Amino acid sequence: MEVARVSDAEGPLILEVQDLVARYGAQTAVDGLSFSIRRGEIFGLLGPNGAGKTTTLSVIEGLRKPDGGRVTVDGADTERSALSVKAKLGVQLQASSFQSELTIEQLARLYSGLYGLNLQRRQLRERLADAGLAQEAAKPFKKLSGGQQQRFSLMVATIHDPPILLLDEPTSGLDPQSRRQLWDRIEGSRRRGGSILLTTHSMEEAQAVCDRVAIIDRGRLQALGAPNELVAMHREDPRVLAVSRGDVTLEDVFIGLTGSAIRD
Amino acid sequence: MTETVAPPRPPIGLTLRSLVRADTTVMLRSRQALILNFILPIVILVTTNRGKLGNTGFLIGMAITYGLLSSALIGYSITVARDREAGVFQRLRVTPTPTWAIMASRLGVQLVTSLVVGIVVLVVGSIMHDTYYTPGEYLLLLAVAVLGGAVFLSIGQALVGLVKSATAINAIGRVLFILLILVGILGSTGILGDDFKNIAAWTPVGALINLFSGVLSLSTWGATETGALLVCFGYIVVFAVIGIRWFRWEPQ
Repeated sequence: MEVARVSDAEGPLILEVQDLVARYGAQTAVDGLSFSIRRGEIFGLLGPNGAGKTTTLSVIEGLRKPDGGRVTVDGADTERSALSVKAKLGVQLQASSFQSELTIEQLARLYSGLYGLNLQRRQLRERLADAGLAQEAAKPFKKLSGGQQQRFSLMVATIHDPPILLLDEPTSGLDPQSRRQLWDRIEGSRRRGGSILLTTHSMEEAQAVCDRVAIIDRGRLQALGAPNELVAMHREDPRVLAVSRGDVTLEDVFIGLTGSAIRD
Repeated sequence: MTETVAPPRPPIGLTLRSLVRADTTVMLRSRQALILNFILPIVILVTTNRGKLGNTGFLIGMAITYGLLSSALIGYSITVARDREAGVFQRLRVTPTPTWAIMASRLGVQLVTSLVVGIVVLVVGSIMHDTYYTPGEYLLLLAVAVLGGAVFLSIGQALVGLVKSATAINAIGRVLFILLILVGILGSTGILGDDFKNIAAWTPVGALINLFSGVLSLSTWGATETGALLVCFGYIVVFAVIGIRWFRWEPQ
């Protein structure tokens, strides 16, 4: 699953996270995190459970305010221009939930309206057909299979053709066919000029599809770069060599930098 | 006009229209809401005996109040709590939709439901009790129905503001419902004595029943009815402030 890559130097910045701090009471979930994403780039945010990935996404999505630092999307501050920023984001949450009384066609109509698109029934049907959901239009979200739910969530996230797509563990729980199909759709979004920020626990997937990745742990940045660069950079790192079982992989780098202890 | 390219900021009219359409569909699809809001108040009208509990105005007022209480307090608070817990609000909040619009749409649909409950119960009640109301009386009764809907909505809002768990809200809402009905309706009938009747007159249900009776005999409108009107507005302000101040959008 190789995709065309964008080099670091190309394109203007679409997302900038600067010294981000987010706390839950006394616990610091994100501690001075900084990274940026360029137009057309697929960027992976990697970290063990509780590393601060979802919290970081929540701040970018405007679901919570940062306790420090700043996030800008296409130059606009997420706090000061919250609604304008949200109009530029396509978001797929870790567990998408939609009103259970509505069919997916009604949901598509609702969300297209919320993004300012007054789509007619024919156009909504076309969008659903593009997502392979034409036969399911009259079903509620919960009656869809896991793969169909993911496709619908992605369709809603991209209904307004956003310049940046935020995906929180998009392939979690999907079979290989659905995963491949999802990546084809994400790649399609990038071909249209979109950028993608995603979180994943699959290092194979990150290595295959991401132009660059940031490895974070306990809310702090541990490493940032193209997957192959990170592997080359840490090939001789004793922490990485200690966990490697042959050729050093991105997973070895990840475990070497974040530790082997299981996180809840 | 069909827009296929998203604007920098969606027009608020389209946002509200989309939300109201979805919330109305959700309301119409809820079988429980249909039964609680319309069928049970009509059952009350059928089963109540005019001579024993009070006059026609009292009985119709009681039936409408019951419908309002179940739709605005139970229906609204449980739906909001369930959607919050399921993450429906999180999904809506990542769109460029102001949070006030999400809530205004839900409250607006509930208030219209209150009005429809009022109309249906009023028409059925006046036919069953063979009573004629003037257009003015109809309008006043419907105005009281909307006011009652607002009172119970604000109590429902306070409930979802103070309690987070949908299960707890479901349980507390039902206990509150029974308490308000028992105190308001039984108290208002005088069955439990005069002291209790005086206290009941100041409860949300008691005040509303007094208002329903009051607008049907405007010539006898007095301090009790004026007090009931004021206390209803008081309840709306107090509970709405509590409900908005402590409301949290996030799931637990």
